[in-house]
Amino acid sequence: MSAMRGIKVLELSESVSGEYCGKLLSDFGAEVIKLEKPGTGSPTRRLGPFAAKGDDNERSGLFAYLNTNKRSVALDVTTVAGSAALQKLLNHVDVVIDDHASGWLKDIGLDPETLDGKWPKLVLCSITSFGQSPPEDRVHAEDFTVFQASGLGYHTPSGSADDMPPLKGAGRFLTSYEAGLDAALCISASLYEREVSKQGRFIDISKQQVLASRLDYVLGQMVAGDMDVSTNRTQFDLFGPAGIFRCRDGFAYIWMSAPSHWDGLRKLLGDPEWMNEFPERWLERECTPERVKLCRQYIAEWLATQEKEKVAAEAQKLGLILVAVNNAEDLKASPQYAFRKFFAEVNHPVLGAALHPTVPYKLSATPAQITAPAPLLGQHTSSMGEQP
Amino acid sequence: MTQRMRGGPLEGVRVVELTKVWAGPYVGKLLAFLGAEVIRIESLDSLDVTRTYGVKDINKAPGFQAVNPQKLSVQVDMKKPEGIKLVLDLLSKSDVVVENLRPGAVKRLGLGYDVVKASKPDIVFVSMGMYGSEGPLSYQTGYAPCFAALGGLSLLVGHENSPPGAMNIRYADSTFGAAAAFATVAALLHRRRTGEGQFIDVSAVESMTSMIGDTIMDYSLNDVVHECDGNLHAEMAPHGVYRCANGEWLSIAVSSEETWHSMSRLMGQTNNALFSTHAKRKANEAQLNQAVSAWTADRDVHELVELLQANGVAAAKSQSSVDLVADPHLWARGFYREVTDKTGQAKNIIGPSWKMSREAAITDAAPQLGEHNAYVFGELLGLSAEQQQQFTDSGITR
Repeated sequence: MSAMRGIKVLELSESVSGEYCGKLLSDFGAEVIKLEKPGTGSPTRRLGPFAAKGDDNERSGLFAYLNTNKRSVALDVTTVAGSAALQKLLNHVDVVIDDHASGWLKDIGLDPETLDGKWPKLVLCSITSFGQSPPEDRVHAEDFTVFQASGLGYHTPSGSADDMPPLKGAGRFLTSYEAGLDAALCISASLYEREVSKQGRFIDISKQQVLASRLDYVLGQMVAGDMDVSTNRTQFDLFGPAGIFRCRDGFAYIWMSAPSHWDGLRKLLGDPEWMNEFPERWLERECTPERVKLCRQYIAEWLATQEKEKVAAEAQKLGLILVAVNNAEDLKASPQYAFRKFFAEVNHPVLGAALHPTVPYKLSATPAQITAPAPLLGQHTSSMGEQP
Repeated sequence: MTQRMRGGPLEGVRVVELTKVWAGPYVGKLLAFLGAEVIRIESLDSLDVTRTYGVKDINKAPGFQAVNPQKLSVQVDMKKPEGIKLVLDLLSKSDVVVENLRPGAVKRLGLGYDVVKASKPDIVFVSMGMYGSEGPLSYQTGYAPCFAALGGLSLLVGHENSPPGAMNIRYADSTFGAAAAFATVAALLHRRRTGEGQFIDVSAVESMTSMIGDTIMDYSLNDVVHECDGNLHAEMAPHGVYRCANGEWLSIAVSSEETWHSMSRLMGQTNNALFSTHAKRKANEAQLNQAVSAWTADRDVHELVELLQANGVAAAKSQSSVDLVADPHLWARGFYREVTDKTGQAKNIIGPSWKMSREAAITDAAPQLGEHNAYVFGELLGLSAEQQQQFTDSGITR
């Protein structure tokens, strides 16, 4: 049984945010029909990572990841015939997801302003960089520039020197994945209401707002006047000896903020002499930059001789918060990910069998599942006649 | 008394939080912003640390207030069996319970899924843990930077040829919360259609890996392990943050030959053969970035953004906290908005990431400790004034 079985979703998206949103729904069993331009298909088909061999339209690992469980119908909605077909389809679907620039929906004949009158039961979600009607100086955007406009970029990494440039986040599409998640949340909530009210809804997701809202703990204090704002790159930071240190086989992250962490470290290291140079409870009460620097030097010397997984397991058992800094290879080998079956093998007709990362939630009655690989371009076009 | 029917898609849903710090409370906040009635159960003996950070008055803690607007608070001593009984009575009249206490803590309290399910068979029970509630490493605990490190993100952030620098230390909890909130609403939808509740087990570390799914796919398909590489991007060049006049920073991302043509014209680099195609710009990226930096160095960041945008180039100022709080677009969209606390005082908060038709009203600041005891125990649980007084006298509620 799937949580969203029988729910029909039309995906007009052509980039990562909308396709990820569609995937979150299709992996819960929603029937997602993806409209793609005949011949070329979604632009994400031309973004890597690519498999070494195969038809150019079908080699993208990005497309394969984002479009599991969906159907592909080749239809160009920007043509007159395509627009007419779209109008018919709209009478047969529950949800539409789009991630083109503001104004595009109106151009293809699906104006959010007329939604209530023309399609009163439709849930329409538009994901854009800065929301509907962006100001003139925010019309053109990519995930990276939105990340920089949201506050996350300026403060990445923590502890940055003023003369080093702010950095991108992890990977290429973190901004889009975050926005797709909030879009899926709002769509699901709207479907929940619609079961009873029979009413649709227009949802306007701004990627900038999604990222800024993820900072609510600090940004909320700032906008309330409870925390200082400044042009400091370290304005969001917590200070102390916490950080990433090199190990024999990679890196480990250690967190230290409370006496219990200091005590845990003392036990783990067998009460070394150097720890006596620090006053008890210095982490809370006398955490000076000099002490932090000295403490970090000792930790660096020690961790350089350790193996990340092993030292993390020992530390955790003593109440010390220390973890491995993992890469993709480590994750594939993780016993915890294996236990939770986080990776699922998906068989794709061109890419072959590959492990896909799945979702971070396990639902006891309606787990998300990948039952079909991403569709080939136009694979379900012929079935559209009887489909709606 | 608070107005509890506020509109929004989740109007009529009741959520109980047994949560602390940020990730769990963020779930409740998202659901409250969608219209649900969200009740935090708090105990004076085991307070959320964000109620006490940096302040003497637990009703004025800024961090707590930032993450808990539009919620209700009841105070129950959960170390006493009578207190647990009250919580179970409330859960039997609720739709969702969210917990992010330490591994095993809800079971020890006598509030595990089996117990709650016996009181309320169709409850949606949401359990949040660094590694999820079961498995060989589920005993391990950590904070946000640990989630990002374990999930594969930290290693990908940093300058070229440098050790990893990691995401901002504030990143992770809220993303974890958003993933849990989405799963919760999917389960509510299933329950509305079938009557069936369920247990949801959410992993913070996996929520992080979900933010780099395509990077993981490169390992699955091609055995490629990525490392931090500054601001480089395989499909875009230039792709960087460049220093402008007055120490301000400008981000630029060029994704097509057409936009590069526009930008190179502005820079006076139209005829530079080193940069004429994407492949050449990637091959000569150090020189490319030097040329862009030289062009931006003495110019005003706002003028550059306007100029580049007018010519179709994706560019934005890298915004500091001063810029963010002053961002007129965020104010105009209602992202920052005003609510009122119990004493009638107005306060600005961060609103939802979305706008939608028929939105839920968001009017209330975070609750004082136990502010809604009378509503919950009287109106919802039907306790008489005398019974409520007895609970207060015996310290079960305060």
